[in-house]
Amino acid sequence: MRELVIMFNLKAQGFLKSVFSPSLPSLVKNLSSLCIFGGFAIGLFFLTRGVTTYLLQQAHIGQFLFHRLLSMLLYVFFITVNLGNMIVSYSTLYKSQEVNFLMAMPISHTKIFLIKFVDNFFYSSSTLTLVGFAILLGYGSVFQLSWTFYFFTMFFVLLPFMLIAGILAVMILTALIKVATRIGVRWLLAIIIGGYLAAIYLYFKITNPVQLVHEVMKHYPNVNEYFGYLDPPFVRYLPNHWVTEFLYWSVNGEFARAIPYFTLLFLTMLGLIVLAGMFAHRYYYGAWLAVSDLQAMKGPGEKRIRLRFLEFGRKAFLKPQTDVFIRRDILLFFREPSQWMHLLLMMVLLMIFLISIGTLELKLTQPLMQAVSFLVVFLFNGFLIASIALRFVFPSVSLEGDTFWSVRSSPLSVRKLYWYKFTGAFLLVLIIAELLSVASISMLRNNILLTQVAAASTAFVTLALIGLNLGSGTYFATFKEKNPIRVASSQGASLTFLASMVYLAAISSVLLVPLNSYFDSLIREGVSHTQWVLVPMATIAVLSILVFATSTSVGLRAIKRDL
Amino acid sequence: MIELQNLVKRFGSFTAVDNLTLRVPTGQFFGFLGPNGAGKTTTIKMMTGLYEPTEGRCLINGHDIHADPVPAKRSFGYVPDQPYLYEKLTGREFLHFVGGLFEMPVDMVKDRINELMEIFEIGPFIDKRAEEYSQGMRQRIVLSAALIHDPKVLIIDEPIVGLDPRSARLVKDTLKRKTREGLTVFMSTHLLEIVEELCDRIAIIKDGRMIFEEHRETSRSMTGTFNGELEAKFLELTK
Repeated sequence: MRELVIMFNLKAQGFLKSVFSPSLPSLVKNLSSLCIFGGFAIGLFFLTRGVTTYLLQQAHIGQFLFHRLLSMLLYVFFITVNLGNMIVSYSTLYKSQEVNFLMAMPISHTKIFLIKFVDNFFYSSSTLTLVGFAILLGYGSVFQLSWTFYFFTMFFVLLPFMLIAGILAVMILTALIKVATRIGVRWLLAIIIGGYLAAIYLYFKITNPVQLVHEVMKHYPNVNEYFGYLDPPFVRYLPNHWVTEFLYWSVNGEFARAIPYFTLLFLTMLGLIVLAGMFAHRYYYGAWLAVSDLQAMKGPGEKRIRLRFLEFGRKAFLKPQTDVFIRRDILLFFREPSQWMHLLLMMVLLMIFLISIGTLELKLTQPLMQAVSFLVVFLFNGFLIASIALRFVFPSVSLEGDTFWSVRSSPLSVRKLYWYKFTGAFLLVLIIAELLSVASISMLRNNILLTQVAAASTAFVTLALIGLNLGSGTYFATFKEKNPIRVASSQGASLTFLASMVYLAAISSVLLVPLNSYFDSLIREGVSHTQWVLVPMATIAVLSILVFATSTSVGLRAIKRDL
Repeated sequence: MIELQNLVKRFGSFTAVDNLTLRVPTGQFFGFLGPNGAGKTTTIKMMTGLYEPTEGRCLINGHDIHADPVPAKRSFGYVPDQPYLYEKLTGREFLHFVGGLFEMPVDMVKDRINELMEIFEIGPFIDKRAEEYSQGMRQRIVLSAALIHDPKVLIIDEPIVGLDPRSARLVKDTLKRKTREGLTVFMSTHLLEIVEELCDRIAIIKDGRMIFEEHRETSRSMTGTFNGELEAKFLELTK
């Protein structure tokens, strides 16, 4: 027990020192973090409050249906926490230098597992906890609940819910590592990705939100009791269902009916903690050794795919410096499974999104809803560009890693390196973003002007988001971190993502009113007034160029810093 | 030729290098000594453009490394204290990458790799990925990378650490031969026997300041080496 206290004390001290460092740059950084995280939380609070109010008081979907939809969102949240913990825990629990050190110390493997699990959960779930709490406050404010409800729900419902996802993640990963020793890493990764996609697809196939809305609205308003029996049996065993039931009965003042769900959730969490301890005692050390063996076995025995045209030593068509950078970056990308598999996963999700848009039959007659539907798709595209930029562009300078000495001491100007990174990322993301934008907007509405607006706006959004992510990725560069996923989930990365969201919110607010007027004139007069979209387009261009210029200026200064 | 003029590096209130001035003429093998934390690596990082000096200048072959970095960097090779490589690239790929950074034509890089394979005996592992290398293998690849463009100046931070006796001998012989051919070497090390064997001139740095400088030809022992007195001198000066 003493070792645990010492380790947690050390970690807490390290964290507090990093947060409350007396230096001016650290103070500025922490204050900026506070402003952006705070701003994001406040924004999320009002968004949740607005959506909840709209659905319950204007759309009149009823509390039962509202909580079923909430349950589906919580399922996605659960999978996100679970997957996030699993991805990060591979580095934290199995590949970290700290674990190598601890394994040589007289500390039990179960304790090492526990220390690293807490570390991992804290690292990969802190932003999601903030998101969860802001949503909870927004939701609760509609029902005017007391502070004790928030306190209890946050620490005894939401946190156990997330812990269940986190504990399951590390246990599944440990089991998967044991399997990997038999079937190989590539097959295992493919199985994990396939498994998670299947889990999401089957859940929504079985619960079918669209069908649920159609059916419920037929019986409105007498649906609460009736549809209570329509839940598929397996749904009742899922933690997201327990959280939703707890919330549903709590906001209706029936605490006696809420308590069993809370108890179920809390006992499951406690049970899983005990199970994880036993599991760690039995399997963690073996899995850690297996990972070490897998690392050591790399090379001679492993079959490798050779992309001959990319190999060094081939005739260069570009200048030598550009040529070797392109070859290096492509080879490093395809030799790191977490890189190309993550991109592949994102592309699959993108295809699912496009297919979903293609099957939508929106028969909206109100101008505001027309504008909102356009904006939702446009914003989703922006969100996707922000995600790709965060995952692949933000870590690109950090991934120069310890070997950055070879570039910095070579006769290459660092400005040139920065622009090389920007150009490569911008062109690649622009192609993906434009294809997505044109395809999704033209599928949604057959309107040439809107497709052109979307295409032009997407180009500016890509410029701003790539500039922002590269600039702040350079500013927050951590050359010691080799795992791109950890770089993309660092504090600097979270700040950048929140800044991206603020930028996208600003873009959508610029577009909403003119789009509404545009659809109004189109629907009422049958005339398409181009001027309604030209002014916001110019505003978006100026705003995007400002974001790009500011970020690039920060990035260019940061890349020259001492190494 | 290397020239450091009143070089200062401060990290906040801490002065790592304090008003360092020295000149290493062409063809000289210069040993830069000092205890841990004396400022050796900081000096080298300023010389190679990895740190910006707080005050003063570094001239490499007449080019200021910070005012005119590209021509300065073109003329030297650098071996860092830790031989970090791209783990997913092979040694050959890394050498091609560095050759490209120095804007060498592909065929010339290939020829140089073949020469360096013989010099440093890197052939058996050059096509394996760096993640499979030992410390000594990495060190030899990094040394090859530093020499691939045939530089006029070589800046080395701890060149022998991690090398087995045979590899260490290879490196020492190569450096000796290259110096005879006109290469200027600036080497930081803790290994005094290497200094005694290789260096024409030494300087000792402590707390960022130069506290001792001596030339082989002006050394009192004057038997062609620093003659075992170096260790006693070093211990006395740095205590």
